[in-house]
Parts: sequence; C-alpha cells; structure tokens
Amino acid sequence: MNPIYAALVYLVWFLSTYFVVVFLLFLIRYRKNLFVSPLQIPGEDLPTVSIVISAFNEEEHIGKCLSSVRNVSYPQDKLEIVVVNDGSTDGTARAVSPFLKDKRIRFINNKENKGKATCLNEGIRAAQGTFIACMDADSMVSRDILKKSIPHFQNPKVGAVTVTVKAKHRGSFLERVIEIEYILGLSLFLKLFSYLHCVYVTPGPFSIYRASLLKEINGFDEKSITEDLEIAYRINKAGSTIAACMGTSVTTVIPHTFQGLYRQRRRWYSGALLTIWKHRTMFFTRKAGFFGIFIPFTYTLITLGLALFVVSIFMLASRLWKNISYFALTNFNFFEHFHWRELLDPLAISAFTILGVSGLLGTLAVLTSGLSATKAGFRKRKTSFIGYFLLFFLYQFFWLSSFASVLFRRKIKW
Amino acid sequence: MRDKKLFAIGFGITLFLLLSIYVINGFMNNQREQAVLDKMDAILEEYQEMQTISLMSGIFGEHMACFGLQSRLIQMDKTLWDAGTRIDKYRTITEEFMRDPFYIEQKRKFNRNEVMYYSLLKEMKQRCKVNQTTILFFYKKAESCPTCDSQSFVLTDINNALSDEVSIFSFDTDLGLPSIDILLSYYNVTEYPCMVIEGQNYCGLFNKNQLLKVLCKKQNLTACTS
Repeated sequence: MNPIYAALVYLVWFLSTYFVVVFLLFLIRYRKNLFVSPLQIPGEDLPTVSIVISAFNEEEHIGKCLSSVRNVSYPQDKLEIVVVNDGSTDGTARAVSPFLKDKRIRFINNKENKGKATCLNEGIRAAQGTFIACMDADSMVSRDILKKSIPHFQNPKVGAVTVTVKAKHRGSFLERVIEIEYILGLSLFLKLFSYLHCVYVTPGPFSIYRASLLKEINGFDEKSITEDLEIAYRINKAGSTIAACMGTSVTTVIPHTFQGLYRQRRRWYSGALLTIWKHRTMFFTRKAGFFGIFIPFTYTLITLGLALFVVSIFMLASRLWKNISYFALTNFNFFEHFHWRELLDPLAISAFTILGVSGLLGTLAVLTSGLSATKAGFRKRKTSFIGYFLLFFLYQFFWLSSFASVLFRRKIKW
Repeated sequence: MRDKKLFAIGFGITLFLLLSIYVINGFMNNQREQAVLDKMDAILEEYQEMQTISLMSGIFGEHMACFGLQSRLIQMDKTLWDAGTRIDKYRTITEEFMRDPFYIEQKRKFNRNEVMYYSLLKEMKQRCKVNQTTILFFYKKAESCPTCDSQSFVLTDINNALSDEVSIFSFDTDLGLPSIDILLSYYNVTEYPCMVIEGQNYCGLFNKNQLLKVLCKKQNLTACTS
C-alpha cells in the first residue's frame, strides 16, 4: 500500500472521528438546552420587525408564504412585510395583489431580474423595522417565529438569529433523505455551532438580522451565489454572533429530483468555496475567534475526505478492472472464487476495515442521536438512513463538480 | 472554558480509539502470523509423514509404501495450497508486502517446502506410478512480470476445480532460493510467467481453456470428458 494513501486514510479518519466525538460530547452537554429560548418579551416592549421576501417566479408558493407571514403572532403595528418581485415572468405579481389590501404589506414590483441578493438589499433599504427578517418566497413560517426568535437579540452581541428549517415534501425517498440532512445540518448543527460562536450560515428560508448591523455591513453581497452564507462570515467579522433558535421553524420547498439536488448543491458548495476564498484573511486571526479555526478545519476535512474518496474510487476501479480481466481468463467463473468461509474469517479483518466500520458507526451515532435530540424521531426514518449513506457518496461528486466549477470559473446560475 | 475542556476530552477519546484500533490490529496480526505458522507446521508434519512412508518402503516393500502415499497425496496437496493461500492473505491484509520480514521469511520457508514436496512427489510418482499431473509455476513480482498475477488467478481456478487430479507448485523466483534457481536452470526457464507441465515448458499467459487443453493432452482429467 502506498504510504501517502495510508497516511491520508489515518488523517481523514482521525479528523472525522474527532469531529464526531466532539459533536456527541456537545450534544450530551447541551441536550437539555436545545429548545430553551431566552425570556419572552412583553407585547408592548416588542421591537418593530420587517420581513423582506424576494420572489422570482414564485406564483405557486408566494400566496402560502404571505398567508403564513400575515398569521404570525406579533403586534400588528410592529410588523411590516416587504415583498420584492425579482422580475418574475410568471403570475407572481398577480398572486401578491390580493394581499396588498393588508396595509402592512408593501410590494416592490421590479420588472427586471436583478438577482436575489440585490432584491433583498432593495427590500432592506425600504424596511423600517429595528430587526429585519429575510425569507424565501417558497417558505412558510410558524406562527411563533418572531416571538421565539426576537428575544435572542436581548444579548447585544447577537447580530442574527437562525431558526429550524423544515423540509416541505411529498414523501418521496429522496425528499425524506434530504429531510434528515435539513434536520441535522440546518437545525441541530447550527444550534451546537452557535454555542461556539461559529454559525457559518443564516439560512435563506428565514433568518432575522439586527437592522443596524445590516446597515453597517452593507447588506448582502450582490455578487455572491450563496448570499446567506457569505453574510454570516461578515457578521462574524464584524464581531457579532449568530444565535440559533430551535424552538420555532420555517418550512421550505426542497429539491425533489436528483437534477434539482445537483443544481442546489453545486451552487451551495461552489458558493461556499468562493466565500472561503473571499474571506481567507480572517482565518486564524484573533479577531475571528473560534470561527477562524472552525471553518478552515471543516473545509480541510472536506477537501482531504474528497481526495481520499477520489483516490479510493480510482483504486477500486482499477481493482475492478483487474478482476474483470482475471475473470475473463476463466470464462467468468465467479463461483470457483467465492467462498462464504473466507468472508466470515475474522483474520481477514484489516486495520482499514476497522477504520471504515468505526467511521460508519460514528456516522450512525450522529444520525440517531441527532434525530433523537431534535425530537424528529429516528425509528420512522430507518429506511432514509440507507439513502443518507448513498447520498453521502453522491455528495462527493457534487463537491468535485463544485471544485471544478470554481477552479475553471464556470458561471453558476441560481 | 467548559467547552474548551470538551475539545480536549474529544481529542483524548479520539486518540484512545486510534490506539485501540492499533492494539486490536497488532493482536490480529499476531493471530494471522500464528495461523501462517500453524499451516507451515502442518506442511512439515505432512512432509515427515511422507518421508516416513518413503522410508518404510525400503523395509516393508514398495507396495505398502505406495498404498500409504496415495492417501497422503491429496491431503499434502491441500495443506500446501492452504498454507500458500494463508500467506497470500496475510500479505493482502497486512498490506506490508515486501518490507515485512515475517512475510519474506515464511514465503521462503513455504517455497523451500514446496521444492521438497515436489522432489519427493516426483520420486514417489516414478516408484509408485501415481497418476497425478504436476504444474510448476514460476513467477516474478508484478513490476517485472505484469501477467504473472493473471496466470496465478487462472491456476487458482484450475486448482479449485481439479484439486484432486492436479498438483500445482508456485515458485517465487524473486526470493533467490538456490533450490528454485536449480529448478529454473533444470527446466531452462528464462521468461515469465512460465509453467512446467509434466516436464514441458509453457511460458507466457495461458487462459483457463488453453491450459485445460494442455492438461487434457497430458492426462485424462474429469474436466476433459465433461
């Protein structure tokens, strides 16, 4: 075995196991606090809030989105809703018009498609609230979303609050698998990261910001393809923290085809890589704190894991090719070479097999304990687990494609 | 502060897990080495048994010795093949190949035992007129002989199908054993992979069908009639 490959295996195993172990330790430590919110603020003391919604061709969803926002439990006079049409070519504007009877709703009807970040910035400039929530038009919020998230701002260091992102789906296998990822990645992980002050994203479906901070950092980066991720870096850079509120949620539409998933992930991953490159100077600086260590650690692990995956696939393919050429010499007589006894031989278990199995067990531990802690229940999601492991391999290809897109400067559309 | 402690504990646990895997692997390696040594002992035991039978032929007559030989032959063949497989498995799992002194040592012992067994078998075959086809397979490492592994695979297939009728001896010519060098010059082997089937050289890669055709010319095997 090539010593470089062996070193890579051990390194990736050690870093990923360390990640899993620390995750589990934090979960044990904060398990009881996950859903605890700061003390509620009495109605009369609640601050003004603006909800900015950017919509591009959202004729199908915008109605449900606005209905959910109008139903939010918050004093009428302290809530405004700003809808920005991003040059939709469908009936989005028509779908919004019945809601305009509500005096709290303002509509900026752009005829030209400017991009999501530009529209959000336009909405932010028009908004008058002390806090500004930005949300996607294909998402629906819980009634208590503001009452639960706003109290987090009582801590003056908090510049933004994220909420649990739930997946709206029709129950297909792919959707159920992606749902697991949303539950863990956009809810539990962010909550645990918030204890370390290293929340790396303010999810687009719904996140709420301190208006003064948005002004200070000039809103969203209009050139970024993952503006919700990029802004999180600048919030950390500005010395503010991002809190995560698991007690309330937003429900959003998720990809229901592999093609849709590929498009989404390529944008996410490419955007993440471009953002890291853009903010590379903040890493390992005292000012960036733990965020400045956490992000490079995570992406080093991803890159090393990807390198290991590529080399392993190459080795597997060459071994497969070799075996096919061997079997071709024996008229593809597989049975002469297949012995159950050899499969069950405990002495055939190598160190790498133990490393691989322990890695799988670690992932399983994260999945089961994570789902259990989020009260999402893991028993009814057993079959989705298998899909989650399969999807893990698929994601490696998405990452590869994203690396290629960034390296060769391919344009990625929203 | 408490969170920092969690990172330190996490690091300790991860290190402990890695060390545990290292220790378990060390234990498994010992077991694997023991399994190889057990197989080597079994070969020696079988060989001594055959030597005894050979010695007895001088005292009790060849008829009795040949009767005993027939029963030992298949067992010895199987033991030898198992030992070879076990050593190869050891190599694959430990992944240390040529750098591992244990592997090299056992491989040398195994090849020497093969030469001993082959010599004895050759002698007994003449004396007892045993109808057992022998294949001597001479190979080198993959870097200098790209098709040696393929030939080895074909021979494994042949052995699995015809283990009772064919005895296969694989010789690693890279080990530099004097006994193997003698066989090489005796059979005039200069290229690899090379098989000597009943005294005749067949060098280059032979697939299963080609090899069966050669074997069927030499002896009436069950595979030749089916």
